[in-house]
Amino acid sequence: MFGQLIVSGLAVGACYALLAIAMVIIYKTSEVLNFAQGEMAMVSTFVAFTMLDAYHVPFPWAAALTFLFAIFLGIFFEIVFLRQAKDPTVIGLIIITLGFEMVLMGFAGWKWGPDQRSFPFPISNIETYNIGGLLISKINFWTILITLVLMFILFLFFRYTKLGIAMRATQQNQLAARVMGIRTKWILSFTWAISSIVGAVAGMLIAALGVLDPPMMMDPLLKGFASGVLGGMTSLPGTAVGGAMLGIIENLFGGYVSLAFKSVVAFIIIILMLCIRPSGLLARHYVKKV
Amino acid sequence: MVKKNLSLIGLLMATVFIIAVPASAQKVQGVTDTEILIGQWGPQTGPAAPWGAVARGTDLLVKIINEEGGIHGRKFKYFLRDDSYQPAKTKAIAKEFVEQIGVFAVVGGVGVATGMTARDYLMENKIPWCGPVTGVYEWITPIQKYLFAIYPLYDDEAFNLTGYLDEKLGYKKIAMFYQNDDYGKQGVMGVERYLLKKKINLVAKVSAEVTDRDLSTHALKLKNSGAEAVIMWTMPTHAALILAETAKIGFKPQWATSSTLSDSALMMQITKGLWVGMINSFFGELPDSNHPLMVKYREWHKKLAPQERWGVFYYAGIIFSEPFFEGVRRAGKNLTPETWISAMETLKNWQGIGPPISYSKPNHPMDRQGGKHVFYGKVKPDGNIQRLTDWIQITK
Amino acid sequence: MDIKRNYYEDIELFKSNTILVWSILFLIFLGILPWLIQKYHLLGMSIYIVNLITIHAIVAIGLNILVGYTGQISMGHAGFFALGAFTTVILILRWSFPLWVALPIAGFVSSAFGFILGLPALRLKGPYLAIATLGFGMTITTIIKHMEFFGGRMGLQAPRLYLFGTPMKDIHYYYVIMIIAVLMTIGAVKLIKTRVGRAFIAIRDSDIAAEAMGVNLTYYKTLAFAVSAFYTGIAGGLYAFILGFINPESFHLIMSITFLAMVVIGGLGSIMGSIAGAALMTFLDIKLQAIQDIPAIGPALVTFSQKYMSISGISNVAVIVYGLIMILIVLFEPLGIFGFWIRTKRYWKTWPF
Repeated sequence: MFGQLIVSGLAVGACYALLAIAMVIIYKTSEVLNFAQGEMAMVSTFVAFTMLDAYHVPFPWAAALTFLFAIFLGIFFEIVFLRQAKDPTVIGLIIITLGFEMVLMGFAGWKWGPDQRSFPFPISNIETYNIGGLLISKINFWTILITLVLMFILFLFFRYTKLGIAMRATQQNQLAARVMGIRTKWILSFTWAISSIVGAVAGMLIAALGVLDPPMMMDPLLKGFASGVLGGMTSLPGTAVGGAMLGIIENLFGGYVSLAFKSVVAFIIIILMLCIRPSGLLARHYVKKV
Repeated sequence: MVKKNLSLIGLLMATVFIIAVPASAQKVQGVTDTEILIGQWGPQTGPAAPWGAVARGTDLLVKIINEEGGIHGRKFKYFLRDDSYQPAKTKAIAKEFVEQIGVFAVVGGVGVATGMTARDYLMENKIPWCGPVTGVYEWITPIQKYLFAIYPLYDDEAFNLTGYLDEKLGYKKIAMFYQNDDYGKQGVMGVERYLLKKKINLVAKVSAEVTDRDLSTHALKLKNSGAEAVIMWTMPTHAALILAETAKIGFKPQWATSSTLSDSALMMQITKGLWVGMINSFFGELPDSNHPLMVKYREWHKKLAPQERWGVFYYAGIIFSEPFFEGVRRAGKNLTPETWISAMETLKNWQGIGPPISYSKPNHPMDRQGGKHVFYGKVKPDGNIQRLTDWIQITK
Repeated sequence: MDIKRNYYEDIELFKSNTILVWSILFLIFLGILPWLIQKYHLLGMSIYIVNLITIHAIVAIGLNILVGYTGQISMGHAGFFALGAFTTVILILRWSFPLWVALPIAGFVSSAFGFILGLPALRLKGPYLAIATLGFGMTITTIIKHMEFFGGRMGLQAPRLYLFGTPMKDIHYYYVIMIIAVLMTIGAVKLIKTRVGRAFIAIRDSDIAAEAMGVNLTYYKTLAFAVSAFYTGIAGGLYAFILGFINPESFHLIMSITFLAMVVIGGLGSIMGSIAGAALMTFLDIKLQAIQDIPAIGPALVTFSQKYMSISGISNVAVIVYGLIMILIVLFEPLGIFGFWIRTKRYWKTWPF
């Protein structure tokens, strides 16, 4: 049972990590905590669903078009709402994302109705691979793989491409970056586009694991946020470690101690851990100067 | 300074003017010679929105009755309000119904936590309430004169379902998977009550939180219990998740579940076919039934509300309001809460498309519990239901 | 006349006679408000909704002390709200305490938990503090859910309260709640003006600078959490009685978020703003569904839904509008309703120039 718990913990953790990455990318560049991330992913997934279900678009095409939609959605939100904020406070920005979350939730309920649906995904959520006596379902296996690959690509992107370096520069000092000839506004929109795509991937995987309905991302988003914080909120490898830890802790606690407190224990551990390392596991702790 | 004061006085006067515009809020009991006002709340938005279909189903029945000329020359005016499953909103709606709209009665209403905030208020104001859409004891204990429950009690439903698995199908190793809230808990109560009586052990009792979206651990626990049959008392999402997780690890017991999950078309779709073989209890006729009333309602549905899905919870809105209209019919021309109550108390095994319904003078809680029957069915590979039993009484 | 000559003048509640007169008029208005509402049902209001607004206003004031004045964030205030509600009901139900004893006890229980939450907050900031408070709120409601002592999942029915032998109705609750709310508002205004409030504001502006100036961070940060939790706990206790039935399920994350939205939309760092924010958000939350009943818009929405959307989800329009209002207020008025008020006031002061 122990091995099985670890495996399914890792699989769940991978989903958390994907959402965490999406949040961290935005937080890194603009210090916005995006609570609309889950609903953005949910709406993108519904778009994919409509294409697959109503228009019978082949899956790769549907996925590609969904990513385009996700890019549009992310840039739209950044330009139409966030950029218009006049000297916003951190909490003000959070409220804007929460407002957008409600708008998207309402839109999804209005457009697609409240009923649960099954998301037609090419990988089965029931068939399994048997790896050394441990059962892992195909979709879990692919979730873990996709997360790792995405993480690796993003890591390389941020570290070695010009664009990635420009993004990091924007995060550290917007004004200086602009002086250096970086189009910071363009960079911000680009960040939102990438984050929205990562979110859409997470949304499709989570819908394929269970069911597709408007509130499907509420719990995963909180867990994703928690794993992002656990990992340090600015470090990509950190979020991966955070997600995996969260998934495994939850499953072990649920398996051996109590199912009832399974969801909560993760948060208690996070609070305790944050007391020891206030900036998460893998982030350096900056003390702001006066 | 003076200017400031003047402006403030102006502001105050403006407010007074706005307030002084007389609003029409004539207090009627909700019954005129041509109209009867009734209301229902239901979650149309938020996570519980799938259950909002109930309130829209009642809307269909109201329209049908009005199209047919109303009852005793009176047509119905139906107020549907969205409470998003938030108790504070439900109570606001109940107050609006009573104090501002002045309804004659409340029908239906999804949810325990929501309905409980309104129960005492409605009862004190002597507003009849027919058919809250949950099968819990709260509606009949303490016994209320103006409240007529219909939904078969979850506790009795679970008790009898366990009995059916044990006596008719011979399963002795039974586990329970439930949602950790008032609905799931009353299911557990019934299962445990039966097993205690028969001195059988419940091999596992696994609960899921309403917000959980990862049930792999729950599935492992069920598998490790070695149960032959698992009774499930959850919402559709959790049912789909647990079936997928157990199928994944190769655990295939006989599943059985409550009437809340009796929408097999929906369940087949979201479980991708894993729903086949489920033993289900039902509180109403099957969607494709040949019952004359069902045929009639289906025709009206095509005419009046073709955009709605003919799902179990849509026409449950009809099931839980039919007896109310029957009461109005029997009360005759002189409709007051009192005559309606006496008329309701004459219902004996009266049946629409739901269970047979009986009420009597309120001496015992069960006198106000209308629905006491369910029937069992098994899901066939094509998603249709094979009816296993006729209506059987679950409440003694 | 805006120059303050000494400290006592600054902490005075009524800065001028004008304000005093207006305050008294406002109190009289509050006194006759229930009568007006019962008579005219203005905007579809009922005394119940006014009660709900008042309770939310108490929470918003408490939360604003923490968020607006001390600069901490809390996404777990529904937990304190639940603590207040359940403690009050249980004290009255199990040990038949009178309300005026049970309510302060609930407030103090809640503030004790606030103090505990204040401890990790000493080291955490921004998203880290957000997740810690969020987890804290969820933990409290989960614990309440799983203890039979608190009625478990079934919830608890609030006992009937009697005033001179007659059962209390909305209108009686109105006066009880309103008196408490007025007292707590005055308390908050006073608190902000004194040494404690100044320390809070110093921490908000820069906690390191504040510490360097001799503000004891440990003391004042935990105090801010405790005071904020106290307000929320009292409000929770009152909430249980106007609702009549409490179930842990209804104290969820969305509630915490709504509280936060009230504070931000009313105006960070403004007591009167909190009240306005609570009033606006509560009113919209309950009454926005009336969009569908507006003569021209309703049918247009229905035809639009039939053509492009789903008819079963038409109520979601209210959610969309609610979200948009939230966004627009923060976008165009970063100081919230309070900022709008200041601008209007300034406009009138110089009018017609």
